[in-house]
Amino acid sequence: MIQIKNLQYKINGKIILEDIFLELADGEFAAIIGPNGAGKSTLIKLILGLLELKEGSILIDGVEHYNWLKNNTIGYLPQYEDFDNAFPATALDIVLMGLAGKLPLGAHFNKNHKQKAMTALEQTGVTHLAKELIGKLSGGEFQRVLLARALVSESKYLILDEPEASLDRPSVDSFFVLLKELNSEGKTIITISHDLTTLSKYCSFLVCLNRRLHCHNHTELIDADVIHKTFGDSLRIIEKDY
Amino acid sequence: MFSFSFLVYAFLGALLSGISLAVFAPFVTLRRISYLGEALSHIAFAGIAIAILTGLNLTVITLIFVMLIALGITLLAKRHNIQESNTITIFLSLSMALGIILISISKNYSFDLSSYLFGNVLLVTKSEVISLVVLSILNIAFVCFFYKELFYLTYNPVMAKVYRIRTDLVNLIFMLLLAANIVINVKSAGIILVTAQLILPAVIAFNFVHQLSKAILISILVAIFSAFIGFYFSFQLNLPTGACIVVFEAILYFISLLCPDG
Repeated sequence: MIQIKNLQYKINGKIILEDIFLELADGEFAAIIGPNGAGKSTLIKLILGLLELKEGSILIDGVEHYNWLKNNTIGYLPQYEDFDNAFPATALDIVLMGLAGKLPLGAHFNKNHKQKAMTALEQTGVTHLAKELIGKLSGGEFQRVLLARALVSESKYLILDEPEASLDRPSVDSFFVLLKELNSEGKTIITISHDLTTLSKYCSFLVCLNRRLHCHNHTELIDADVIHKTFGDSLRIIEKDY
Repeated sequence: MFSFSFLVYAFLGALLSGISLAVFAPFVTLRRISYLGEALSHIAFAGIAIAILTGLNLTVITLIFVMLIALGITLLAKRHNIQESNTITIFLSLSMALGIILISISKNYSFDLSSYLFGNVLLVTKSEVISLVVLSILNIAFVCFFYKELFYLTYNPVMAKVYRIRTDLVNLIFMLLLAANIVINVKSAGIILVTAQLILPAVIAFNFVHQLSKAILISILVAIFSAFIGFYFSFQLNLPTGACIVVFEAILYFISLLCPDG
């Protein structure tokens, strides 16, 4: 379970997030929606410990999140993974990254680790790309490799930042089908998305965020007023879906 | 006997200098911090000036000074979230300014800027050859042992943190070793060759292979080959050794561009 209490976050005095109280039970498939600049990515970076939490608290499984993260990993798919296209890494190398933190300092990967990585690639349907250089993969293929990396870490939590950003329409659907399968196998998933059509099909819990939380409830309880407060001018798109 | 040992030391100096820097070159190139090598060698200038002014051992003082600055760059970039390139430029400017002030204070000393820029492999002593052997072994051992951490640190340090890969300590050792490499190599190789050796062998290697471990190996082989050829022509034509090595590596680089993957 992830519990966020009284979280505030400012950058140079500007409030990015305020009064955030949120509880996500294990096994949820939660979506965070909100306009650009709503603080969605900031919130997940705070959960991941990539940004320093100054006010409020984040508890994961009842433990203060910095302490939890010392011994555990959250599988994370960033919106864009920053890397040099010419970097000499194969898809398999990238998946193995999900296991690297579990190995002692200086230890090398063995056959068992590589087998685990191959199994994760199989789960995401891209085993055939294991030996391909990452610079040669399409956006969709690379997303699946990154998902395999998140899976191989065996974390019970999976956080995704706009996974549909580099996928075409059919790939978005098949990607979310895969996420739904993982969710039904017990993974707790949090995804940021703008694709409300897809979210309404697959997610069970919607978090509407625009600096503050406007709602955090199961999808069927969300009404147009709440979404209007969250999105403002983007309402037209939302009315189509809800 | 004198001329023989002096030539052997000069050759070993050029060879080991190439090997020690070539081990780090693929990481420096991929992390796009090749300017760091140049900056640290300029930062060494202030260390040299301090050693001259205080009359203490030049190598030891410069080594301590450059390592402290490398530590400062790493910590400042981490703690204050400043881009490493900006921090490096700040320290580079400060060290050069400090170096010039200190050199001007020690009026009796005539500083040979040319040897600082281009080095003089012919002045390499036995103890410096031993330092270079130790340094090369340390570099190879460090890269072999921490290969996994260095690989992911180079790929993406933020995601390395997400997946709990302990890159902080490895990055710190990397920076300190890089600083040591630069200080110890500047005397024999000079700033120009040090900078070239931190880039050229690796970019040549990446034109042939797309695997980091193989690129490190080829980078070392390029450095060894260049040391032999550069030293041979320098000896035959009575030309500066460091400059001959750089020119030969540059030629190799242009040839490597003809490779299908180049």
